[in-house]
Amino acid sequence: MHKQTGQPGETASSSRTAMIEIIKVTKCYPPNVTALADISITIASGEMFFLIGKSGAGKTTLLKLLCNMEKPSNGLIEIAGMNIHQVTGNKLAKLRQRVGMAYQDFRLLTNRTVAENIAISMEVSYRKPQIIHDRVRNLLAQLQLEDKHDILTGDLSRGEQQRVALARAVANSPTLILVDEPTGNLDAISTEQVMDLLTRCNHSGATVVIVTHDEAIYRHTNHRIMKLHDGRIASLTRGSGSEQPFSVDIPDDAERMDKSGDMR
Amino acid sequence: MNFWLAVIRQTGRNLRQTWTTQLITCLTVSLSVLIFSFFYLIYLNMLSVGDKLSDNLHLVVYLEDEPGPEMQEQLRLKITQFDQVEKIRFISKEEAYNRFAKQLGDNREILTDMPTDFLPASIEVVPLRTLRSLRQVKLFSEYLATLPGSQKVQYGQQWVERFYSFIQLLSIIVLLSGSLLILTATFMVASTIRLTIFGRQEELELLKLVGATNSYIRTPFLLEGLLQGLAGALLGLSALYTLFQWTTHHISGAGFFNLLSFTFFPFTIISTIVLLSIILCAVGSYASMQKFLRV
Repeated sequence: MHKQTGQPGETASSSRTAMIEIIKVTKCYPPNVTALADISITIASGEMFFLIGKSGAGKTTLLKLLCNMEKPSNGLIEIAGMNIHQVTGNKLAKLRQRVGMAYQDFRLLTNRTVAENIAISMEVSYRKPQIIHDRVRNLLAQLQLEDKHDILTGDLSRGEQQRVALARAVANSPTLILVDEPTGNLDAISTEQVMDLLTRCNHSGATVVIVTHDEAIYRHTNHRIMKLHDGRIASLTRGSGSEQPFSVDIPDDAERMDKSGDMR
Repeated sequence: MNFWLAVIRQTGRNLRQTWTTQLITCLTVSLSVLIFSFFYLIYLNMLSVGDKLSDNLHLVVYLEDEPGPEMQEQLRLKITQFDQVEKIRFISKEEAYNRFAKQLGDNREILTDMPTDFLPASIEVVPLRTLRSLRQVKLFSEYLATLPGSQKVQYGQQWVERFYSFIQLLSIIVLLSGSLLILTATFMVASTIRLTIFGRQEELELLKLVGATNSYIRTPFLLEGLLQGLAGALLGLSALYTLFQWTTHHISGAGFFNLLSFTFFPFTIISTIVLLSIILCAVGSYASMQKFLRV
């Protein structure tokens, strides 16, 4: 479950354990595309971290390396002290149970209901059906998708699918949450709900890494923001926002939008 | 929720989603179980028919002269040298005459002018009541013909040979249908599991990413195979049992069959067939997983 280490929102310091250590990581794709070059960064346990940059800057590649979907061409990645590209079998499975990932392409099972999709991440750690049921209801309520419980995810709008994918990522209360473009298809209100959920997870101890190019969600943050450009670290800055909970400026026309955030 | 509960839920879900394919596989398995066990049942029943017929089987060795007590002892020794026998009985010329007279019944007066020793003395040999003795009966008779003083050896030569070749034919059919069972059970289940694996590639990939252990992913496929084997065998055997009941009910009354009482498989054979089918299907599903499931 969550490991409470230090104050939420704190930056990496010597007093806190590192959740993610990326040391001189390079990723090349044949024939000669360098997606990432010489990336080194430490993300502390309990930190919220933003990864920004233009499309093709290497953000998603870095996330894929972090969740062991791909292996780096060079360098070392450690999560919770384990070299994730050397762990195999049940150890890897246990590690992945502690990492929640919301994919850019959602990876939902479109022939299963919303509830079943969210439950998958808890079923693999053999949680009790009652606990799974309650957790699913609770998450759907937080994301205002209560009425979609028994709908096939294939019948949902992109915005709804995105939120279901996020719910699945956080359902098993992972210690590390990786989210790829969590607000890409969402209106302002849904974006706020999503960010609230992620902030809550972060406050209860989870390390959260958010990949985005939506400026609205990191404009007011006080967390670290790393900008990638052509596979290299272009800048590593701290947001200048207050410690206030996340909020976005809601444009006037957003108020007229359907609250469920449908963007069919 | 513990591991097995989770796995059983997963299996149930798989079966629900792919029930048409699963049903076809199950029917194929049950059909091959039916074919195999059908011939095997006939084979077993024929063996017991053979047993019953060999109860009545005896070889008669006609002798040139009536043997004295010493000679009788020597002949007895010679016969048992070849094979163990159930019974050896010496029939004197007079005894043979009396038997014949008895058989003639009311017509016995035709014997009145005949001497009482016109029939030859003989030895009746009853071989052991096993099918092996049925197979050996020809060899045995050839051996008996070489006994000192033997004139002729008689037994139901024709039917014994025909029956034996019939049983041989049956055992070949049983072997062939057994191989059919092995092939269909293993390959059909393997290909069904392969199809399910291909059809659920996306889900399996996701399961891996959210941290499902290898056994969590694999066990449902193995269970599917086991269930296919179990259901297929039970279905096939119940179909055979129904067929058996129907047949025995409808042919009762017909002369020849009335003499033989057909029996269904004993429990041990039923459970062996079920177990065999389960193992074959599990092997099929395991082989498919090894080949197509990369976890």
